[in-house]
Amino acid sequence: MSFSWIFALIVGAMILILAIYFSVKLIDLGGTEKGAKVSKDIGILLNPMETGFEEAKTTLLDVEIESEITNICEDTGIFGNQILTTSQEIFGEQKGGDVEVYFKNKYIFSEKILKGKRFYIFSKKFEFPFKITDLIFIIPEDEIYCFVGAPQEIINYTKEDLKLENIVNVSGVQSCPEKSVSVCFGGGNCKIKVDLSGKHTTKENKKVYFEGDALMYASIFSDPEIYECQLKRVMKRVANLAKLYSEKKEFILNKNCRSIANVEELFARAKSFESSENLRTINLVKEDLEEKNKYAQCKLW
Amino acid sequence: MQIMVKAQMKIQQTAFMLIALTLFFILVALFFIGFKISGLKEDVEALEEKQAKLLVSKIAASPEFTCGESYGIRNENCVDADKVLMLIQEKEKYKKFWGVDDIKIRKIYPKLPEDVVCTMANYPNCNLINILEEEVVGTYVSNFITLCRKEVEGNKFYDKCELAILMASYGKE
Repeated sequence: MSFSWIFALIVGAMILILAIYFSVKLIDLGGTEKGAKVSKDIGILLNPMETGFEEAKTTLLDVEIESEITNICEDTGIFGNQILTTSQEIFGEQKGGDVEVYFKNKYIFSEKILKGKRFYIFSKKFEFPFKITDLIFIIPEDEIYCFVGAPQEIINYTKEDLKLENIVNVSGVQSCPEKSVSVCFGGGNCKIKVDLSGKHTTKENKKVYFEGDALMYASIFSDPEIYECQLKRVMKRVANLAKLYSEKKEFILNKNCRSIANVEELFARAKSFESSENLRTINLVKEDLEEKNKYAQCKLW
Repeated sequence: MQIMVKAQMKIQQTAFMLIALTLFFILVALFFIGFKISGLKEDVEALEEKQAKLLVSKIAASPEFTCGESYGIRNENCVDADKVLMLIQEKEKYKKFWGVDDIKIRKIYPKLPEDVVCTMANYPNCNLINILEEEVVGTYVSNFITLCRKEVEGNKFYDKCELAILMASYGKE
């Protein structure tokens, strides 16, 4: 073989390798770009989920390609962070989950990793006792939840108000569809056990506490770690809003508008909030505040 | 000798051809990356615009702004001016909270001859509330709101509501 042939073969091979390398890099970049766009888009799509006077809202998110949405919660800083990453299946491999999109005013209660093409997104107003935020729930459309012995109120709410078609209601756990996530409301051997009178949910052998409907749904649909972290973030917002109301209380006092609502105590309790176990005590402060504001001559909220 | 020269020429020819080919691929790759980046910038701008437009229509319902029931009947687009005035004392805390570059509220009725920025000292005799930034930043999108506050007359307080626009901006350089 002549030298020119050998030379051409070596350089040709090098060019081919480089071309393949850059193509792979470009596909990765495309995946990352698409993932980042989807994450940001989800965050933006969550803006219309802000409820006004209505209790809840539901929407369906379609992401075209089979995707993996990762829900990351950070509870450090003034408000903590809601982080989303999205990777997509390209040639059988997950690509582009390395761009993290941050939101400070969103609270997503879901499993840590959500897989699918279509997702149900619904929000539920959270008041403590004034409006704090809208809790957002994301569930893959093909993940079936089997509610065992759910009270009629919950059945009606999920079917008629939220229109969630991936929730089935049965009277016994043996009637649950295969591969569904069983949720027991009145005792039984389910993956998720909800004790409505004790106000706690047991999931993956971890017990989390709730107060009110919004947090009850949050404890069912989210990973226990995500639940605790988001709850801490929600309490940070409670503390900041309580501070705002405390300052407003002082300010409107100059206008002879007097309020006896002790928002300062709520501020102190919310600031020292550690875990859902503290919910019961802080809820007493909330109930007291609710009463005082309801009958006040000068309402703070 | 002639064969050697001919061989060397061929090698040179091949080498030049390969260099040209490589340069061509590099140029194509650069063009493609440039095209992608410009597309990405447009996408970012479009997403920011979408964010601001969606937010401005919903921000009045946000707990830091909403009147709730403090002014009697609930109104979806009612902003509590007393609460917002307290909010601007802590603007640093809320800088990146809503994901937009700036939020301002401009009272449009009753109209003042010129812009008077609201402070604790001149409130409520002012018409512009700078919530996040003091200056104008980026492009603003707006929505009509009712701006309510508690007023005092003699020893009694009453609710006073005025027409205003809430503006959110995006595209800060």
